[in-house]
Amino acid sequence: MTSSRLAAPSALLAAATLVLAACGSGSGSSSGEVRLRMIESLTSPDRTKLIKSLIADFEKANPGVTVELVSPPLESADQKINQIMQTKKDLDVLEVRDHTAKSMSNNGWLAELPTTSWSGWSDLTDLAQKKAVEVGGKPYLLPYGFYQRTLFYRTDWGMTQPPTTWQELYEAGKKMTTGDRFGYSFRGGKGGADYAVMMISAYNGESVNPEKAYYLKDKRTIFSTPEATQAMDLYLKIFKEASPPDSVSWAYPEMVQGFTSGVTGMLIQDPEVIKTVQESAVKAWSTSPIPKGPTGYALQPVGYAGWGVTSFSKHQKEAIKLVQFLSEAKQSIAFAKGNSLIPISKQAQDDPQFSQGAWKAYLEAQRDPKQVITIRPVDYPGWSQFGIDSDRDVQALITGKKTIAEVLKSWDAFWADQAKQVS
Amino acid sequence: MVARHAKPAFTVRRARFIALCLLPGAVFVALFTYYPMIRGAVIAFQRYNLFDLTSTPFVGLENFWSVLAEERFWTALRNTGTWVVVSLFFQFFLGFGLALLLRRQFRGRGLYQAWVFFPWAMSGFLIGLLWRWMFNGQFGVINDLLLKAGIIDERIGFLASPGWAMTSVIVANIWYGVTFFAIMIMAALQSVPPELYEAASVDGASRMRQFWHVTLPHIRPTLALIVLLRIIWILNFPDLIYSMTGGGPAGSTDIITTFLIQQVSGGDYGRAGAVGMLALGLLLAFSIFYLNVTRMERS
Repeated sequence: MTSSRLAAPSALLAAATLVLAACGSGSGSSSGEVRLRMIESLTSPDRTKLIKSLIADFEKANPGVTVELVSPPLESADQKINQIMQTKKDLDVLEVRDHTAKSMSNNGWLAELPTTSWSGWSDLTDLAQKKAVEVGGKPYLLPYGFYQRTLFYRTDWGMTQPPTTWQELYEAGKKMTTGDRFGYSFRGGKGGADYAVMMISAYNGESVNPEKAYYLKDKRTIFSTPEATQAMDLYLKIFKEASPPDSVSWAYPEMVQGFTSGVTGMLIQDPEVIKTVQESAVKAWSTSPIPKGPTGYALQPVGYAGWGVTSFSKHQKEAIKLVQFLSEAKQSIAFAKGNSLIPISKQAQDDPQFSQGAWKAYLEAQRDPKQVITIRPVDYPGWSQFGIDSDRDVQALITGKKTIAEVLKSWDAFWADQAKQVS
Repeated sequence: MVARHAKPAFTVRRARFIALCLLPGAVFVALFTYYPMIRGAVIAFQRYNLFDLTSTPFVGLENFWSVLAEERFWTALRNTGTWVVVSLFFQFFLGFGLALLLRRQFRGRGLYQAWVFFPWAMSGFLIGLLWRWMFNGQFGVINDLLLKAGIIDERIGFLASPGWAMTSVIVANIWYGVTFFAIMIMAALQSVPPELYEAASVDGASRMRQFWHVTLPHIRPTLALIVLLRIIWILNFPDLIYSMTGGGPAGSTDIITTFLIQQVSGGDYGRAGAVGMLALGLLLAFSIFYLNVTRMERS
């Protein structure tokens, strides 16, 4: 008897605890103490450590404010963030990426960040200021750095000069391809279509609208032109004659591994690879800006991510303070260095790390007016879907399941339809 | 009289107690299984795109039609068939063989068993990553071994060629799943009373006959259940494929669940919900069919 009398309330208690646990713990503030919750997306162990040390500095400078950092694994992070955002609870600061910014601002999840009242704003580079307000015309995030691609090449495989055009890259790559060695780290797997688009853009050259990079200035899509077909012809030749056959399934890790293990002689990748190559067995290498098309233009988007504040944060003032703190010169340069990013602060130009060695190619590209930075239509409803479909089309193309004409036709139709939906 | 009077009071209290004990579990399941499932089912009938969640109207069967109209869905469906049938076939027979071998007494059996069962304890995603590098056409250990053994003259792009990719992911899946069958079948084998074997051998039955007429009939119900469970699990198991090929090259290893994940990454939760419902319907229909067939066989 006694046992069941005791058991009933304890079962109830257990149930109640479960229900409470399910509802999540509040970022409750008791006794004036402010507790911020922050989530990152591009998680990696070293990076998390760096963010934590920056947070510790922030906490020291702002007594009474503590920050809890949530670090979900990279693969599922954006989905987790989206789920949290939908519940509109318990999140103050988050990492916003270029391709998640639009849906987040559309759904009203992001708070507008003040710029005029913040002294750090004028220290940001023009590019950083531009990207901060790119989505929705309001500063919903402060970028922490940029990713931009550059060409890595072996200097000991008989190449005296880096290729400046895609045609030269093809020819140089073909020469390097002998038996176990290949010219180019081709990307056929996840993200592969990006490289096809890069070539198509270069071939269309000046006629591309850099603000909406999948369209020409005359509103047609970049996939509709004869230049696009030329670009894809060469793209296919580069794969067939200058790249490992296995690269059909190569994504980021394989491409980089291909270069650092001495299988391929050229690689086009983001600056974080500089560190990886430096630590590898490959010693004779250099970098140069990405190759151009026949009309002398190279176009590529600049990838970025930044810190934002949720619209439903209960401690918006402190959350904004944290984002601004992370974006100030000292912290942002430390972050850019730690992650091999192109920095957001004007003061970084004087920093030797960003003007020497492998980084020089970036300065060179920045000074070249024909190396154009574009904005992809990430704010169109079909953007995410296209990323998946186009990767698949690229694999179908290089494995001979689809023709160039078929692929370009479907991409053209897709973006022509998107243009109708947006206008 | 007293006893009859006391009994109902006891049962009511007991029932209440049982209900209370069940409550945490029930709440847990309702919250984390049924709620998401029902919500997912509702989303399947909505225009629910992450791109704009401010307007999510009901659109009837629109999501279903758009999924069914896609060639890729049907490719994924066909691939799912191959994936399940071939994986299951080899997992079952290899697992069965392994279980029979492990039934014998030999030195270090416990250790060996633990060793064999180890893969089952690892995450499918991790296993996929391991196999992805092993099957790699340039740096993979499998190519290296085959070359050194003189079986092939040229590296094979296992995950790069549409023909090989499905074979490769299935090989990985077989490696992963044999263990499960071995564990379950071994447990079933141990439930066969030894007296039956004794009686059979007294009657002069050979080992083969003993297997057919004693072992097999005895463990058949268990086998039927394990196979059903496995079919459902293999069908719902995108981890390996997702981390090995992501469904590629060009959709040649897409199964329904990886196709579903792609819909989610594309931000179209409505369509993803529809794919989920279709997969659920398929499994439900199959389970009913399968259970009926196996029940008929028994009677």
